[in-house]
Amino acid sequence: MSRLKKHMTREENSKVTRRSARFSSSVTPDNPEPNPSHQPTVADLTFGEESITLDALLSSFPGRRSQILDLIRLIGPLDSPALPVMVYGDASTGKTSVALQVFRHLNRPFVYSSCRTCCSPRILFESILNQLLLHSKCSSNGYASAKRCDKPSDFVNLLKEALSSVVETLNSTKPERKPMGKMVYLIVDHVDLIKEWDKGTMILQFLFSLYSVLKMPQLGIILISGLPPDVYYSNVGYTDPLPVYFPEYSEEELRQIFLKNQANKKLYSAFLDVVLRPFCRVTRRVEELSTSLTSLFRKYCEPLDDLTISPNEDLKRRLYSNLKPHITSCLNEIFRISSRPLDGDSRGERRQKASYSSEKGEELEMLDFHMSTSAKYLLIAAFLASRNPATLDASMFDSTGGMDNRKRKRKASEKSMEKKEMAEQEAVMKGPGSFPLERLLAIFQCIASVGDSSFGEEEDEEGEDEATGYDKESKNMMSDILLQVSSLCDANFIIKSGSCPLEGSIRYRSMVSEDLSLKVARSLSFPLSKYLYRR
Amino acid sequence: MGKENSAEKALNLIRGRLCDPTSVFRPLSGSSDSNFSKLKFIVSTSITEGCNNSILLLGPRGSGKAAVLDLVVGDLMEEYPDSVTLIRLNGLLHSEDNCAFKEIARQLCMEHHLLFSKMASFDENSQFIIAMLRECGLAHKTIIFVLDEFDMFAQASDLLLYSLLDAMQSVTSQAVVVGISSRLDADQLLEKRVRSRFSHRKILFLPPSREEIDSLLEHLLSLPADSSFPSGYVSQFNEKIKNITSDTRFKDMLKTFLNANSTVNSLLKFIFRAVSSMNLESGLLSLENFKTALSSMQRQPKLEAVRDCSILELYVLVCMRRLEVKEQSSYNFISVMKEYKTIHDSFQTSDYYAQNVCLRAFEHLREREVICYAENRGQSQAVEYRPMKLLISASELHQGMRSHACCPAILLKLLDH
Repeated sequence: MSRLKKHMTREENSKVTRRSARFSSSVTPDNPEPNPSHQPTVADLTFGEESITLDALLSSFPGRRSQILDLIRLIGPLDSPALPVMVYGDASTGKTSVALQVFRHLNRPFVYSSCRTCCSPRILFESILNQLLLHSKCSSNGYASAKRCDKPSDFVNLLKEALSSVVETLNSTKPERKPMGKMVYLIVDHVDLIKEWDKGTMILQFLFSLYSVLKMPQLGIILISGLPPDVYYSNVGYTDPLPVYFPEYSEEELRQIFLKNQANKKLYSAFLDVVLRPFCRVTRRVEELSTSLTSLFRKYCEPLDDLTISPNEDLKRRLYSNLKPHITSCLNEIFRISSRPLDGDSRGERRQKASYSSEKGEELEMLDFHMSTSAKYLLIAAFLASRNPATLDASMFDSTGGMDNRKRKRKASEKSMEKKEMAEQEAVMKGPGSFPLERLLAIFQCIASVGDSSFGEEEDEEGEDEATGYDKESKNMMSDILLQVSSLCDANFIIKSGSCPLEGSIRYRSMVSEDLSLKVARSLSFPLSKYLYRR
Repeated sequence: MGKENSAEKALNLIRGRLCDPTSVFRPLSGSSDSNFSKLKFIVSTSITEGCNNSILLLGPRGSGKAAVLDLVVGDLMEEYPDSVTLIRLNGLLHSEDNCAFKEIARQLCMEHHLLFSKMASFDENSQFIIAMLRECGLAHKTIIFVLDEFDMFAQASDLLLYSLLDAMQSVTSQAVVVGISSRLDADQLLEKRVRSRFSHRKILFLPPSREEIDSLLEHLLSLPADSSFPSGYVSQFNEKIKNITSDTRFKDMLKTFLNANSTVNSLLKFIFRAVSSMNLESGLLSLENFKTALSSMQRQPKLEAVRDCSILELYVLVCMRRLEVKEQSSYNFISVMKEYKTIHDSFQTSDYYAQNVCLRAFEHLREREVICYAENRGQSQAVEYRPMKLLISASELHQGMRSHACCPAILLKLLDH
């Protein structure tokens, strides 16, 4: 029995840390192969670990006191029948972890399934049944489920049987420590994902009416949803469960959450004083804030030698002024994948500072990933092909490779200004245009010849025998171009849009934003703005 | 400790009552002209006289149709043991003919202690059912078919209904078909040949009257004066209930609640919530419990969604609203960003963030279903170019922003122009 408990603890432990607060240090999840000699019992349906007191539960979730108490009250005392409950709230508001920890506190048997891992009705039904029938998939039974079930009608019958057998065992077992009660609870997580499923609305309706169809008072149902209950209203009508709302955390609660696991609370608190408010204006989601704040905290602590001191006012001010220039740039990032190691960071930063354009005084950003030269030219060519109308190609890219001067501009009349605005709006709504492959290659050849004048001279030559280095390179470049096009497609810089119905050739569309293409052009010293058609 | 124990027991008792529909509807079915009596009369006459019959129970969801039917069937099972067989089908689960016939055959086998083979084909099942109908008819046993979510049976395909009703007419059988539906026009959905074989008896389930609700409340919330509870506690509890229900504030609350949703089921949920928040130390209900229950039942999800938004997300919403006001028929992320830039340029706000951060805020709003794609066609386009639309009205946005914890004043000004 003790071996079984330890095994369950290990498995449940990895399950728990994966689902608890996202930035707590996680145990590397190990899934031990369930030992076939262990016979799982009904006691394994409870949380398995040491039960926690209500105070411990409330203190581990700052800001969730009323929701936890509400949930506990709705579940009710031991053996109390309950109506279905729906816990809803935005992502990373703690719904799943609160629900599981509440069951740890109450020590009642429950069955948990998530519609994110069980991505079809059959997997969902079988997962619930497997847990109720205390069946685990292992090599001896070929990793098969206990019963095959893909229709709701079969599921209802099998569920009734499984539940009655579990309730019978619960009625006859003598609990060792805290009583388990005679009810079984079913927790279904991520119910909002069912909407995307095939026949999703029917499954949702079935799930909501499961309680009234089964008519078993020993079952309690808790649904966890990322979307509020009003998105499930359907015109067929349904019985809505009792809602429990998990709002987003306020700034004060976020502060408590972030301070919880910190070693040096005073230092982190000083850090949060300056940083939390501006970041909360952008997003209030815990996972997004934690990624930005961890990297920023590292920068904050850089000048400190001793990380355990508690700062006084003077130190706080100095640390803040050191951090200040980084805050704005961090606010404008979603995530940063550091390609340079942190120790060599100072050198990289100096290189970045060199890219400041002295005349403009603006910060020009460098391209932070590597592309081959031909790929960069292809990217620019695709961008131009999407932005410029095809009819202007001849005038833009004449044989000299330079831009033709525009005809002298007439003074724009008011009507043409209006038309220009409408056309601009339409262009914004339509998005980047599509182009066939031949046009892309033609533009590519033109602009690649601009980049290097010697390129242009050698390309005209048809002769192959005195192939200079450049000529050979250009010929090699040509053969790789189609490969480059397909790799740009894979990287989603170019996508395949619909094919032209007359010719049947595939058309492409450039997905690159203007900023990125400007960065790429700058790295090649290519005058992109001269080639862009502005209406 | 003893007090808490009895408080817990009282709580469990009341919750048990609320979760069990039959115990709720029994007091409502006392009078002689209630739906219960009508239904019981129809079914019992067809049992005693050995004839076929079909009825429809119609009413909004949660008005007790299935519960009343269960009560009737329970009574009849006691009065005529051995001559009533019950077959239950649900339109959600068994709308396909294969499923339906299999389920009927399975339940018949269970009732009559026969072996059911899962591999039986559709034809075998239907022949079995017709044979059983004939047998039961000859033995003067009635089979009651309960078809829950009748409109789904009527819409899916009529093979099941037709074969049942046809068998009832042609074969010597004694069967009653009871259909339960929340669509009031369920019989209009039937095909012609089925409708002609269906008797047009309908029983309508209306929301209960005020007196019925009062008596129901008293019945549900009063503790019985039996020996499992200390007697002083019981009288104290019942006294408190009487005080609460006669309080005008409670009556107003109940009226507001029933104005929105008048079915019995929603009333049960309201009482369940109130009872669950009972203070276990004192063991008595109070008006506060009902007040908190009412506020938690009256949620406004879109308002909550706006209140949960960060300030950048509010900016995005305000920009979209302004574009709508300017009568731009369709707009996408890029046009919203242009509006955002013009606002920043003209008002010099401190909240100007890069495009990718704004795109992430945009995605958050879309996940929460505050905004959505205007059409589903443009799947191949990038997210920034697909036309979007707001899913909340201007007044909801206004209200949400005013009740937001830290909404900047400039946003409210921009919304009003």
